[in-house]
Amino acid sequence: MNVELRKKAKELLKTKQVEMIIGYQRGPDGISATPVFITREEEAENLIWDVYCVYNLSNYLKDFPGKKIGIIAKECDVRSIIVLLQENQLKRDDIFIIGVECSGVIAEHTLASGKESPGELDFDEKCKACRPSTPRLYDYLVSQKDQKDKGVLPEENPYQDIRKFEAKSIEERFKFWQEEFSRCIRCYACRQICPMCYCPRCVADQTMPTWFSRAPDLEGNLAWNVIRAFHLAGRCIDCGECERACPVGIPLREVNKKIEKDIKELFDYEAGAGVDQKPLLSCFDQNDPEDFIR
Amino acid sequence: MNKSQIPDHSPQKNSGDRNLKAPIKDFEPKIVGFLCNWCSYAGADLAGTSRIKYPPNIRVIRVPCSGRVNPLFVLNCLMNGVDGVLVSGCHIGDCHYSEGNFYARRRFAILKRLLEYIGIDPRRFQMAWVSAAEGERWAKLVGELVEEIKEAGPNEHFGGNR
Amino acid sequence: MLKSITKEDFFTRVGELSNDFEIIGPMELPLKGIFYQSILNTEDLYLGDGFAIEPIKKFFLEPSTRLLRYPWKNEPGVESFSPPERERIAIGVRPCEAKGLVLLDSVFDPPASSDLIPNSAPGAGKKSSNRAGSTYQDAFYTNNRKRTIIVGLACGRPDRCCFCTSLGVSPAGTTGMDVLLFEIEGGFAIEIITDRGKGIFGALGKELSEEEKKLLTSVNNKREDLLEKKIRVPESMDTIFTSDYWDKVSRSCISCGICTYLCPTCHCFDLIDERRIKLRCYDGCSFPHFTLHASGENPRPTKKERYRQRVFHKFDYFKINFGENLCVGCGRCIRFCPVKIDIGDIVDKAPLSKKR
Repeated sequence: MNVELRKKAKELLKTKQVEMIIGYQRGPDGISATPVFITREEEAENLIWDVYCVYNLSNYLKDFPGKKIGIIAKECDVRSIIVLLQENQLKRDDIFIIGVECSGVIAEHTLASGKESPGELDFDEKCKACRPSTPRLYDYLVSQKDQKDKGVLPEENPYQDIRKFEAKSIEERFKFWQEEFSRCIRCYACRQICPMCYCPRCVADQTMPTWFSRAPDLEGNLAWNVIRAFHLAGRCIDCGECERACPVGIPLREVNKKIEKDIKELFDYEAGAGVDQKPLLSCFDQNDPEDFIR
Repeated sequence: MNKSQIPDHSPQKNSGDRNLKAPIKDFEPKIVGFLCNWCSYAGADLAGTSRIKYPPNIRVIRVPCSGRVNPLFVLNCLMNGVDGVLVSGCHIGDCHYSEGNFYARRRFAILKRLLEYIGIDPRRFQMAWVSAAEGERWAKLVGELVEEIKEAGPNEHFGGNR
Repeated sequence: MLKSITKEDFFTRVGELSNDFEIIGPMELPLKGIFYQSILNTEDLYLGDGFAIEPIKKFFLEPSTRLLRYPWKNEPGVESFSPPERERIAIGVRPCEAKGLVLLDSVFDPPASSDLIPNSAPGAGKKSSNRAGSTYQDAFYTNNRKRTIIVGLACGRPDRCCFCTSLGVSPAGTTGMDVLLFEIEGGFAIEIITDRGKGIFGALGKELSEEEKKLLTSVNNKREDLLEKKIRVPESMDTIFTSDYWDKVSRSCISCGICTYLCPTCHCFDLIDERRIKLRCYDGCSFPHFTLHASGENPRPTKKERYRQRVFHKFDYFKINFGENLCVGCGRCIRFCPVKIDIGDIVDKAPLSKKR
């Protein structure tokens, strides 16, 4: 399928349908993949697509406003592109989505443990709750014939762990997050890698007023991580990039998924379902639940 | 605002120390209320002009609409040692701006569950609809709120680390 | 002075020392990694092959330092915070991190009898022999350095991101150390380098036999060979300041702060006022707002300028001012970069022959 991918990329560049293609190439270590930005036809030979292509490249779309960009995207990346389209951050005509069929990517942190071949490596947690899938939106599809199924069925209940955690006592929950967030170094990698975090000036960087402490202590870290997750309510499509980027291993997806579960329960809303869907917090329903209001 | 209304955030006198010294039964919670200008604020005003007595633990901040309240306001209050936060607006259908409280309702439904998940007592964040005619209801609401937050105890989640 | 000591004896001694000193050392948190922490039980001390995620820097140049507190109403005046006095021992510090501290010293704690001349002459060119140097003694950093004894641990198994030998650091280097431990069968070989080190570990262990010494030397010589990554560090990068190379290499950068915050030598900070307290917090040149002026002008508006700044500060500017590269090759910025940007590779492949 890499052959097909490269052929299409060359064609797009040749016919000037796009000025640049954002894709994946093999990293210098010969195993992992890195993002690559291709503007010349001959460079298209570097393009690859396999289980090592963990990144959500839609994060880079904001770097090239007004340019015609081709992007290689798997299902979860396409959903984040959909959210960006819903929020008028992109013009549909400016992007050409080369969809790739995906049956899961590897858990990158297992690479560091010395394992290398796909057979030894675990699939990423986010992929375990996902079916091998074709992107829901694309301009051209590269189908996957030569890759086998990851052999893991989606979990019956994707929110099982969240429910288990919810059942714990309030003190236990606070203690857990206090410990997790205490390691936060406020490098903001979770924000920077998130395709949805495109604010020109993040609340964390504002000084008039300062919304929460910039020092990496309990108070500031908790506020930052809560607000980061809240600002993604109804927008997070669970690509898991924040958790992958976090250098100190904070389980950020567990916060994101909690919100994802709640909005499904409360508003029957799923982020990135379709381009015509309205953003969750800029619409409402007369009958939204209000049992928590006095 | 005069000084007595500003919680003292100085690191030496953080809420943790203060409340450890005071027995819990004497604990007088500090509550911040974000009241919409058109209904809840007028309702609270009515309670005042009708000379209805209610606990003085609540500090009112007037906002144009409950839809104006940013979740950061709530978090910021809790971070600064406030024991409870109330967001109050017009009843559904009565919003001066037609739909502001609909947005607020969605937003805070998520925030309330999120705070609970993170381990912050759900009693510390409350939401209510109080109309301009409901002076008595306002007084009753504050009374109940103070009782609930007294039960929840002082907010020690963020005190003492600085 | 080189001695050998059993593991039990070593940990017992550390236990004794914990009465008088705060013990800082690496601790393994399951599934999370290794973190330098204040150690309460000596059993928690992790002295294996793995590297801590954050460098020991955080105990010297702290992620946030409270500098002073402004008065409120009738209070007498600005209150300055007195630096903590408790003596500390940092155990398990890697040679690259210790070297990083020595580099930080030249900025925050320069030697008093500095032969470096402050660069006050106007128009002093970049190539001037007068190094800018520093004469400023930072009270907080200096105090943290003074009250801490460094007990290092030689690296047994470098990983694929390590490239310290390319920057003049050895996996068994003693720069910046008071004591250096080498893991040997059944315990540690312990090299005492300074009098402070002698004070805490001097009375312990027995002399190494000639044979053991030989063995250790041969092991030490092999340590450097274990490093696969070797890079060429140029004398100056002056010629490629305007190259479009920087555009190319920085394109995938996401402008987060991992590389700067986890770097043992990066030391940029921001002064922040919070609740009448002035704080000094980490900041990094990779953030878009790092150089944003109040006017709205940003001299480093894109990733290209920001990434170039990071490389130039490490391999050009710092060398001009202090005579050394501001990099110790610990590999953290490579190991933890979410998009696998490799500074070693970038410096190594820099097209220096190209004219401006």
